[in-house]
Amino acid sequence: MNIDDMRQDLGMMQMSDSFFPTGLYANSNGLESIFQNNKKITHLEVGRIIETQLKQQIGPTDLIVMENALRFASAREFDKILELDMKINSIKNIREVREASKRSGIQLVRCVREFIKDEIIEEYLKFHQIGMISGAYPVSFGLCANALGIGPQKAGLMFLYGFTVSVVGAASRMGITQHYQAQKIIHELKPLIAQIVSESLDKSTKEIWQFAPHLEILQMHHERIDYKMFIT
Amino acid sequence: MTDRIPRLGIGGPVGSGKSMLIERVVPVLASKGYSISIISNDVISKEDADRMRKNLATDRGLLPENLVIGIATGGCPHTAIREDPSINISVIEELEEKHPELDLIIIESGGDNITTTFSPSLADYSIYIIDVAGGDKYPRKSGLGIESCDLLVINKIDLAPHVGADLNVMEQDAVRIRKDKPHVFVNCKNNTGIDKVSEHIVRDLLFDSPPKVTLSNRQR
Repeated sequence: MNIDDMRQDLGMMQMSDSFFPTGLYANSNGLESIFQNNKKITHLEVGRIIETQLKQQIGPTDLIVMENALRFASAREFDKILELDMKINSIKNIREVREASKRSGIQLVRCVREFIKDEIIEEYLKFHQIGMISGAYPVSFGLCANALGIGPQKAGLMFLYGFTVSVVGAASRMGITQHYQAQKIIHELKPLIAQIVSESLDKSTKEIWQFAPHLEILQMHHERIDYKMFIT
Repeated sequence: MTDRIPRLGIGGPVGSGKSMLIERVVPVLASKGYSISIISNDVISKEDADRMRKNLATDRGLLPENLVIGIATGGCPHTAIREDPSINISVIEELEEKHPELDLIIIESGGDNITTTFSPSLADYSIYIIDVAGGDKYPRKSGLGIESCDLLVINKIDLAPHVGADLNVMEQDAVRIRKDKPHVFVNCKNNTGIDKVSEHIVRDLLFDSPPKVTLSNRQR
């Protein structure tokens, strides 16, 4: 491994570390809603819920958007990034999820901008300032990964890993899983994460889809819960 | 970029009186013409935000209802104001964009942690509030929250004789631990000390600036 590869890997570690400030720790992605509906939920079910989300929501939508954003940023195709930002917003039906995604996305980009100069990121923030870009998290993530010199495959792994950890972390804080079980869930999801990333790499935005109606309804319910720990 | 509106962070243990302090200080500042927004980082419920909205906005009209905002923090209120304040900053930037007329943004965050501090990128001035019912050892225990805040507020002084807390001990320890930094004894129930807290905010955070929008202009 040469120095450039090591730097890329360090960038990957930095961005996928829970210490990296994106606000993801405050998202349960619907798990809190499921928990409040069924307090008997077990750690085994947490793994299955994340599996469904990865297969039916995040994998076929957010991941492909992120990877395309990264490629467009690398090719300096800003118009396509604008289009992508609009597209992901039109797909995300749940207001709470959409708003959380925008907020995390913009904060992520602003943080990276503090230590990396990147033309596309500057342009992106300018357009956000005038309201032409929402800052959706997958698009922002792709731009930041590109600025850090991380390729689509590693960025894809980071993206799904980060999502998985945020939901497992939420499960732990709600007392559904204990710390060993949490790590076991993450470990058992690794093959699925690798498979989804490897299958998504060449997909265009025309291939985006998602289908998880029951989960979406539960995610919508979350907005109206009075006593809650999480944003989503 | 919009101008940064002065930000006041109020931290302290659950039940120490953070929301009550805000409910007492806001009317004093509003009477001086200051426009204020409140962000409440709740551990589990929207109860504090809902109560402040009702008492300060709905019932008294001291600020618009939509300027009292509750934020869920994933059970990590300390993270949301210190290591990763991105959720709060995001909400504040939206406020700064939509309400440049604001003079002050108050960010409240709870959690039983005497090491609670606010990220400098989030708050320009911080208050840490404790109450005498926790025992007169509280200031002596120090912790970054107590030690480094700009103003230490010691609440519920009326309870001191009932819980065997010696206010002189608390005073001496506060002076010793915090050196030159100020502290104020208050009783939020009857407004004791609230004027002093308000004076500190106006002088040390707002630098005696007049309100951006004068009362007469606002009433027109």
